Amino acid sequence: MFEDKDFELLDEKAPVNENIVDDVEISDDDFTLTQIDESVHEQRIQTKPTTFLKDSLKRFRKNKSSVVAAYILGILLLMSFLVPIIDRNDTREVHEDYTFLAPKLFKSGTGFWDGTAKYKNIPVDISANPNPTGTPEEIEAQKQEDWWPDKDRFSNHRAISKKKFTDQQYINDSTAGDYAKDGYVQFGYLGSRKEGEAYDFTSRAIENLNLNNNLYLNVFDVYDVNKIHLREGKDTFDTPDNYHLGECALYFKYQEEVNREVFDKEVQLIDYKLVHNIGSFVTSLAEPKLNIAEIIQNETGQTTFQNAQFAVRMVVDGKDRNTCSLIGGISFEYDNAADEETQKKFEAISFTSASPVVAVDPNSDKVRGKKIDSGKDEGKTNFKYWTYWSSTDIRRVYLAKAYFCSFTYDTYEAAFGKIDQDIALKDLINYEKEGWISLTSDVTGQSTLYDTEDTYFGYCLDVKNFTCKILEPDKCPLAEPITLKDLEEYEKMAVYYDEDYVYGFFPIKATFWQYKLKGLKSIPTFLMGTDRNGRDLFKYVFEGLRTSLLLGFLTFIVCFLFGLAWGAICGYFGGTVDLLMERFTDILAGIPWIVVMTLVIIHMGSNFWTFALALCMTGWIGTAARTRTQFYRFRGREYVLASRTLGASDARLITKHILPNSLGTIITGAVLMIPSVIFSEAVISYLGLGLQNIASLGVILSKNQVYLKTDPYLLIYPSIIIALIMISFNLFGNGLRDAINPSLKGEEQ
Amino acid sequence: MLKYSIKRVILAFVTAFIILTLTFFLVKSLPSSKVIATDKNVIYAFYMNQVKLGYCTVIEHPAVEEWVPTVTPLDRVIIGRTEYFFYTTPIIKQYFSWIGNIVTKWDWGTSTKVEPGASAIFIIAQQLPPTVSVNVISVIVSVPLGIGLGILAGLKKNTWVDHLISTLVMVFISIPSFVVITFMIQWFSYQLQWLPPAWARPDETISKKILAYFIPVMSLSFGSVCGYTRFVRAELCEVMSSEYLLLARTKGLTKNQAIVRHALRNAFVPILPSILAEFIGVFGGSMILESLYDIPGIGRLYITALNAPDYNVLMVDMAIFTTVGLLAGIVTDLSYGFIDPRIRMGEKR
Repeated sequence: MFEDKDFELLDEKAPVNENIVDDVEISDDDFTLTQIDESVHEQRIQTKPTTFLKDSLKRFRKNKSSVVAAYILGILLLMSFLVPIIDRNDTREVHEDYTFLAPKLFKSGTGFWDGTAKYKNIPVDISANPNPTGTPEEIEAQKQEDWWPDKDRFSNHRAISKKKFTDQQYINDSTAGDYAKDGYVQFGYLGSRKEGEAYDFTSRAIENLNLNNNLYLNVFDVYDVNKIHLREGKDTFDTPDNYHLGECALYFKYQEEVNREVFDKEVQLIDYKLVHNIGSFVTSLAEPKLNIAEIIQNETGQTTFQNAQFAVRMVVDGKDRNTCSLIGGISFEYDNAADEETQKKFEAISFTSASPVVAVDPNSDKVRGKKIDSGKDEGKTNFKYWTYWSSTDIRRVYLAKAYFCSFTYDTYEAAFGKIDQDIALKDLINYEKEGWISLTSDVTGQSTLYDTEDTYFGYCLDVKNFTCKILEPDKCPLAEPITLKDLEEYEKMAVYYDEDYVYGFFPIKATFWQYKLKGLKSIPTFLMGTDRNGRDLFKYVFEGLRTSLLLGFLTFIVCFLFGLAWGAICGYFGGTVDLLMERFTDILAGIPWIVVMTLVIIHMGSNFWTFALALCMTGWIGTAARTRTQFYRFRGREYVLASRTLGASDARLITKHILPNSLGTIITGAVLMIPSVIFSEAVISYLGLGLQNIASLGVILSKNQVYLKTDPYLLIYPSIIIALIMISFNLFGNGLRDAINPSLKGEEQ
Repeated sequence: MLKYSIKRVILAFVTAFIILTLTFFLVKSLPSSKVIATDKNVIYAFYMNQVKLGYCTVIEHPAVEEWVPTVTPLDRVIIGRTEYFFYTTPIIKQYFSWIGNIVTKWDWGTSTKVEPGASAIFIIAQQLPPTVSVNVISVIVSVPLGIGLGILAGLKKNTWVDHLISTLVMVFISIPSFVVITFMIQWFSYQLQWLPPAWARPDETISKKILAYFIPVMSLSFGSVCGYTRFVRAELCEVMSSEYLLLARTKGLTKNQAIVRHALRNAFVPILPSILAEFIGVFGGSMILESLYDIPGIGRLYITALNAPDYNVLMVDMAIFTTVGLLAGIVTDLSYGFIDPRIRMGEKR
């Protein structure tokens, strides 16, 4: 294209020949004669003729991005076959010890890709030391010492570093219930809140539980704000007799008048097992404690209860909602042997059948906790409040207060590093026998005396002169020599001791290397971490990639061959055959692929072969259309006509003449089928129809979707791989098309 | 033109009919899904309606006597003193009843599990608004953006602007949508906490509802913007190197005049139909997005119905996806003809 600036008006006055240097002399010596004696026309061309493929390759090489894509593709292909063979980690079985290890490449402590996970805003258990005192530094130190995030989840305290506390966040949405379930939520002064927001308290309410004498239930309790800790859903309350109260089976709705008057309510006691009413009694404001055990005794005449379940219901007439609560209850279960499942079941019963949904009137002032003694204590932290309990089907906590902390958790340290455990007597003796450690005092078990076999009970050892030395640190699982630090403590626990020896039931604390206990030689590292089943994600992802690629190539080959045949017949013969076949493909192409896949999979089940079949059902249409167009283009050419005149059959014309000419275009168009198959497979997995028992990229991604919030690396690595393979396949395919078919260059799709 | 249009429409109609017939037989040959409801009167009413519509037959028998039917029934209900045994009619009979019901009553079937007893069309109609609203907004956002970027890249061909846009397009078109959605939720909802991680419930505030649109619209637009950019750039590049543009410049038009009057107009011949098709496509929901972001649209309904399983609802959902696809195809082809009368898509060359 020409632009204005390309043209310039020449100045007519300027000397035109100004720049021409005319003092160049050309002599005969500057020229030499070549080929003077040869007859050029008889000589053959020396340069090698270039083939179509070589020419294409040359063009392909010029396209830098496609070359890079081809290399990446090659590496990924190679890895998808080699990694599952070379990597010896097992991805079939579940490995409990290896779950959720973070990706690790560098040494821990480097801060990046080092096997640590950063956690933000994890609820903290502050029950050990709820109110640290002292100077700010001391408070901070006490907090670091005593406040721990969920001990079940973050079991190894050595792995926690860089702890930082976020004080008292107010949770003001429906997820607060989740916090209350897993963490420790402290309810306190609720600050300013909007009118109309309901909040339900669920809290520990039974104190001084003594079953044999008096089972007291505080109908309403006055709590010091800073001492209420809630661990909903998990707590069992130990009674002196080792009875367990069922997990958080308490639900009670109580309501006060504005002037703190509480009406006496009729309460029913229900035997859950027999589902009948034992009796009714009346709560009394004057005596807010109900002696349930007494009532049960009075009503049933029984004094002992084995494996019984009772519940108390408070039924109030619903005439005046402002003064009466709707329904409430407390349920408890005392069954020493009840397993967790039963307890859960019981909770479910008590919440669904015994109590209908309580419709809390959010606009009513009566449903909120009331502050008492406010005049006296205002401005200080230990306000006193009424707490009450309510039952709704979904227990939600609004406007709760909790402590959170952020920290770094070294997952490898937690799983394989040092751990404090009580050492078993048997092990201690064994280690000495093996020669791994040397002890200065004799160790003998007193199993005959105390009837405890090979447990850590019943040591007989010289506590005062006890020293331990590790002789073979490579073999011995002990990380540090055993020291008996608190000698006085041991003496207290001892049953008796004479001059030198202490006999007794006491555990000896020791520090172990976990990886040695697990029989490993060193702490393993996982490049991409491990998933919920303890599988090495690195291997698993490449196994998935292998499945996806196999599926892609298989589908490609089948679709390509079928589409080629179909398109060839369509395009070559034309006419009615073409028309009928085209209508058929029209119909097939009209069905969305997702519908086809769904129907095939729900009819035939979900495995590798049905997947391939479902993908092949519609995959060939594109190739067929492309082949048909090419055949239309070439079938009228002169060389085809010439060949036909010489008597070539249809089959020969198709395979020997038209096909070789059109193959390049068809094949390059079809290569892009592979990434689209990988994509389709992943999508189907997301819809819940994915491959069963085989890893594929889609299956991995959809299975790990739930860990997006907690362990995003489980999604990041597979996503990177799938994005990489898609990008490089597309770039490679486009480059291939441009190279083989230069006339189509720049045209997309 | 009229003849051609009518021919195309009739052809598409026949295609849709055949596809729906095929789908019907494939779905109905699956084991029938029983209706799940706690109230047996609902179940009874449902089956009686099915009998009325011609999908079931019923045998009544006094409930007091023990009677074992020779053929296992689909379901049995005891109402009062009578036990009703319901059997499915042969598929071919069901098929004709189905067509009859659609033609006479516009009754596409009754839901068995998603909302037992409700009409499938009603359920679909309930799920359409979220899907359509999200899709319409994303089309409105993505079309101008895509075309703008495409024009920019096309006009600045082989400069760094073009390379940057083309590379980004290549990357984003290759990354699967679920990856994009997943990371948007991770980043915007969990990390930065700017946007909600799921669709707003009906009782939430307007501001939350508006915020809940961002991630779906963005994730839908990504692919769409990339597609349009690539398409427009390719078309524009082709037109820019054409001879008539050279002529336009030679006869004295400025560059801008030539681009606006000649290049863009010609480049838009294939682009406009695809925009129209995009607008038809708003009725089809994205299953991945809707299930990941928990949008109560027809894409999520598809998965819900599939997992329930509620084949009657699934069937209608499939019909919608098919019809939307075919309709978009026709609109594209016909609008080609209207924009450029020389073009007859799908005609014999």
